[in-house]
Amino acid sequence: MYSDLRRYPLLALALLIAGLLPARSQRPWVEFGPPQRVLSVNPKIGVHTRLTDEVEPWKVQRTWEMTRQMGATWAVEYFLWAAHEPARGVYNWAHADLVVDHAVNQGIALVARLGYTPEWARPPRTSHLYLDESGYDDFAAFVAAFVGHFRGRVRHVIIWNEPNLSQEWGYRPVDPAGYVELLRRSYLAAKAVDPDVRILAGALAPTLAPAGSEWGLNDLDYLQAMYDAGAAAHFDVLAVHAYGWTFDPDEPPAADAVNFRRTELLRQVMQRNGDGAKPIIITEAGWNDHPRWTKAVRPAQRVAYTLRAYRLALEEWPWVEAVCLWAFRYPRPAGTYQDYFTFVDADFHPKPIYLAVQAYAAGRGDEEGPR
Amino acid sequence: MTPRTRADRRRLMPSPRIVGGLLFGLLLAGLLWVLAGRLLAERDATWARIRQTGVWRVGMDPSFPPFETLDAATGQPVGFDVDLARAIAERWGVRVELVAVGFDQLVDAVAVHRVDSAVSALPVMEQRAREVAFSAPYFEAGIFLVAASGSTIGRPEDLAGKRIAVEWGSEGDAQARLLGRRLNGALRLALRETAADALAAVLAGDADAAVVDAISLALFDGPGRRLTAVGEPLRRDPYVILMPADAPRLRQAVNEALADLQADGTLARLRVRWLGD
Repeated sequence: MYSDLRRYPLLALALLIAGLLPARSQRPWVEFGPPQRVLSVNPKIGVHTRLTDEVEPWKVQRTWEMTRQMGATWAVEYFLWAAHEPARGVYNWAHADLVVDHAVNQGIALVARLGYTPEWARPPRTSHLYLDESGYDDFAAFVAAFVGHFRGRVRHVIIWNEPNLSQEWGYRPVDPAGYVELLRRSYLAAKAVDPDVRILAGALAPTLAPAGSEWGLNDLDYLQAMYDAGAAAHFDVLAVHAYGWTFDPDEPPAADAVNFRRTELLRQVMQRNGDGAKPIIITEAGWNDHPRWTKAVRPAQRVAYTLRAYRLALEEWPWVEAVCLWAFRYPRPAGTYQDYFTFVDADFHPKPIYLAVQAYAAGRGDEEGPR
Repeated sequence: MTPRTRADRRRLMPSPRIVGGLLFGLLLAGLLWVLAGRLLAERDATWARIRQTGVWRVGMDPSFPPFETLDAATGQPVGFDVDLARAIAERWGVRVELVAVGFDQLVDAVAVHRVDSAVSALPVMEQRAREVAFSAPYFEAGIFLVAASGSTIGRPEDLAGKRIAVEWGSEGDAQARLLGRRLNGALRLALRETAADALAAVLAGDADAAVVDAISLALFDGPGRRLTAVGEPLRRDPYVILMPADAPRLRQAVNEALADLQADGTLARLRVRWLGD
């Protein structure tokens, strides 16, 4: 049969199409519908979505609908360089267009995180997060192409992720000056295409790793080193990761503590370097309520801490524009503690934390909760 | 067609050579089966090393009482899983070496053979099935509907119009809300700060039933049985032992040991000792 089909390629193609048709017809038809807008008492509410490997259009649409219905105005989404530029100068925006257009239609301000090096831009047998200086111009060209393609639809772009961790820097020693060079080239390339786009830097991992550690570098030290290398002129907003772990969001900041208010220490570094006028967007944060993970809290605590974090940003942090919590939904269950970061499950069932945030965003205060 | 003559019958009877050939084939197949089993066992380097060294390296994160925690006085790991691992090792005539591994690293530690197994209140993770193998369940930690002993509530459908206590935001809460949707909303939730508070609400008459996980129920209730799990779990969450995917003989041995421990009452005794169940 296989050899027959090789002799008759048209027949093979027809059979393939015939085989695919029933599968296509079973998929729900997706229409964009009228443009929506987010209604929320707190315009700083945001989430980090996980649509990178979500292939079904209706699920992409449903994700953004539920994000809006929860009252989140902001969202961070990851766009893989390797997926969208499979060969140098060859771009494929099909999936990215799907994700962006549905977000825009639901009235959500999208922050695009860019990274994940294609094979053609790195040496063989290196990690997807490896990018040495020989590839910086390639990445900057991709950033420019992304910004140009999505001009008017995506206004915020994060350059790389957690470069203060060796793993995220391709298992090389972390290098603040190297990251600043990547940032500089990306910034200039993006602004040349769209002067209105806002470039986010940092997205540093909260860590106490000392200088010389093989794993990474303390985020406060790393940010200072970025300024020392001339970063200030090459970003508009600082992206901050602010996981709370087991601490409540009001736990005071301290140089030797990793908690939500560590954000204030990063802000102090910005001020010390004359950069206090720039805003911060928290692009990852949140609490986990796995029953046994030692970095998790009880579910009721997670709800209370989450609402408090959104309120704190609104009422006490005028320099924070948005708080995007990890993670709205995974395309499929991870089967680990990671599932306990989400707001809705893989089948789109809203978790109680979703309903609590929704009630708060709708101005119904603490309608959800113990009596 | 019925044979009419002796010659016809002889023609239809298998010849002694064929019968002999079949018997020989069966014998050969049996031998191959045994040989294949031996080869499979020999290919299981993990099991072979356990047998050779007399040591079974078991990973666990001792941060989840009563399954595994560090004894305040001795600093040594104690709990249901510690006793379970020792009971299995005893059956094999080997010694357990407990290795402390962070909960979020346990699966990787097994997959890359840093430990031989993980016995640490772990669920089945289908997504990791290519890297690790899972034993038969040894404890059902799922979500149950719980009512006071003697209650007329015998199944989820009996909950229409009833008040159900849950720990706010928990998996029990999520399951109760799903149940509510199945009952067209005819179910009232009583949200509580903790699972213990939800169960206390049932005892106090503030709720008709609760939806909580099996461990919370066991630890709250203890001896006396004033509260009872009703029916099958609303969501299953069986605990299993993890082994490397390329250790089929070890998996077989673990499953055989678990079956023995179930049959001789050891598992039941461990439940009573550590969960008062």
